[in-house]
Formats: sequence, structure tokens, C-alpha cells
Amino acid sequence: MSWESIIPNVLAGESQSLAGTAPAAAMDNEQFAAFYARSARPLWAYLARVSRDPALADDLTQEAYVRFLCADHPQDGEVAARRYLFKIATNLLRDHWRRPQSSSIDELPEHIFTTTPGNTQSDSISVLGPAMAQLRPRDRQLLWLAYAEGYTHQEIAQILGLASASIRLLLFRARRKMARLLRSGGEA
Amino acid sequence: MTPFSCAREHELSELLRKGHWPQACPADLYAHVVSCRSCSDLVLITGMLQNSRRHTAELPRLEPAGAIWWRAQLRRRNAAIEKVSRPILGAQIFALAMTLVVLAAIAVWQIGNWSAWFADVPSALHLDALIPSSMPESSILWIIVPVLATIALLSGIFVYLASEKQ
Repeated sequence: MSWESIIPNVLAGESQSLAGTAPAAAMDNEQFAAFYARSARPLWAYLARVSRDPALADDLTQEAYVRFLCADHPQDGEVAARRYLFKIATNLLRDHWRRPQSSSIDELPEHIFTTTPGNTQSDSISVLGPAMAQLRPRDRQLLWLAYAEGYTHQEIAQILGLASASIRLLLFRARRKMARLLRSGGEA
Repeated sequence: MTPFSCAREHELSELLRKGHWPQACPADLYAHVVSCRSCSDLVLITGMLQNSRRHTAELPRLEPAGAIWWRAQLRRRNAAIEKVSRPILGAQIFALAMTLVVLAAIAVWQIGNWSAWFADVPSALHLDALIPSSMPESSILWIIVPVLATIALLSGIFVYLASEKQ
């Protein structure tokens, strides 16, 4: 008896074989492509800004989608799916930070995120970069999720795996620190 | 107002989220933001981060969705195969262990008969013609046993490789 005869659907790679268990199994290739087109850039921006490493953001974005497609949690609609994706990405980031680093993420030059000088938008971003660098990673995550992505405190708690009640205080402290850094031009 | 937020923060957040700040902001709220540190922090940070989000999201060269889809399918398939093959591998290990035990038991039980059989093999196959005459007749056993062991080992490797190819 061959392996193929024991697990024919699995080897055929049919999403139907796992339908009902994985969230993305219900998503076909085209639905996933549309979801990816809408969500990949914001996810990459989150990872790149929080990690301050575009190459790492590339890797983690891909890995987050692969894990999302392999996951077993049912998701209701795109909003929940997107939130779940951010949660996966956050966990991947956390795993990355826990591993011994061959090089520090602080070594990354901020100019990667800037465009032509003299542009008002770029100027504000060039101030934002050093200010973000002064913050702890969790503060960067909190601020980005709250003010760039517009998630509620409850959603942020779900994504970061923190108590919902603590988000308000943590966010308040991070925001105050960030505002102080921005007003001083990003210098501590 | 709580210690960590202003009473008008929610109203202001909504305006910022919808992109209505400052054009559609009521005059009283605008005046409040100017005088309230918490709200002015909120405006400053939200504006900066939203700008940064727009700018940063334009940067990546994303991998095609199809490639990620294919990779996920491959990973799910491998995970499913691993899940299915785990008990089969356990059964194979158990069967191998049982076979070795039985073989060992038979060997212990039949050791006397096998010694006699081995002693008869050289004369039955006329192997004494193959070895130099200077070598004592009893040393033929020391040639036969390693040869048989090598054949058994090679057979095992061959069967393993054949099963791997399947």
C-alpha cells in the first residue's frame, strides 16, 4: 500500500481536505490574493517600523502569511483575519527578539525609510525614525497599532497578548514619551 | 477626564481616524487641542504615524501572493504527512525491535546446532580448496562468518534504500 493511497487528499494539496479546520482553507487562491493585496503593505509597514529592519520585515511578512494560511483558528471576516495576521506577525517579532542576535537592529540606518530630502512628509518621517528608535519595542508596537493602524485598546490587547486594562496606561506612557521625543527632534 | 486621558480624546480620535482633522474640526475642539497637552500629543503622534504608514507602505517589493499560497500548501501537506507517518514510524520501530528479539532468542536456542552446521559448511562447499594450504582448517570459519555478516548488512542497506525510494 502506498502513502498516496493512505492520504490522497493531503498529497493532492486540496484545500478541501482541510476545509473547516483552517481559516484560510476557506479562502481560495484568488480570495487570498485579494486579501494579500489589501493587507500586505500595512503589515510590512508595521513590521518594518517596529523592528526598524526592512529585510526582517520582508521575511516576517512572508512567514506571517504562510502561518496564517496554515492556521486552525476560524476567522469571521476580513477585519478579524487582519487582526489575526497582526497577532501572528507580533509573535514572530517576539520570537525574533528572543533569539540571540548576530547584529543589533539598532545598527540599521533610518534613511532606508526616507525619500528625497526637503519634502515635508520626509522631514516628519526623519524626525519620527530617531524618536521611534528611542522607544522600547513594545511601545513602538502599541503606538503603531493604536495610531497608525487605528486599532482599539481591546484589539491591541488581543494582538499583543496583553491585558486589555493595561493598554490604556501603557499607551498613555508611550505616547507621552514619544511626544516629548518628537518635540525635541528625536533626541532623548 | 481620567488620569491617563482627556475627556475629549475619543471625539478627537474619531476625527483623526476619519481624516477630518483639522478641516472638519469644531472650533471649540480646536481651541481645546491647543490648550490640552494630552490632545495635542495625540494630534502630533497620530499625524506623524499615519504619514509614516502611508510612506512606509509604499516601500516594499512584495512577494507574489501565489508564491506564498503555494508555500503554505506545501507546508500544510508536509505537516499532514508528518502527522500520518508518525504512528507508522512507531509501528516500524516496534516491528524491528520484535524481530531482533525473536532472532536473538532463536540464536540462543539454536546455538549448538548452528556451531555444528558452521563447522560442516567448509567441507560441504569444499572451501578448503580456496584458501592457502598453509592456513589451518579451523580458520575457515573466521572467513565465512564475516562474509555472511557482510552479505546480511548489505542486504539490510539495500532493503532500506529500496523502501526510501518508494
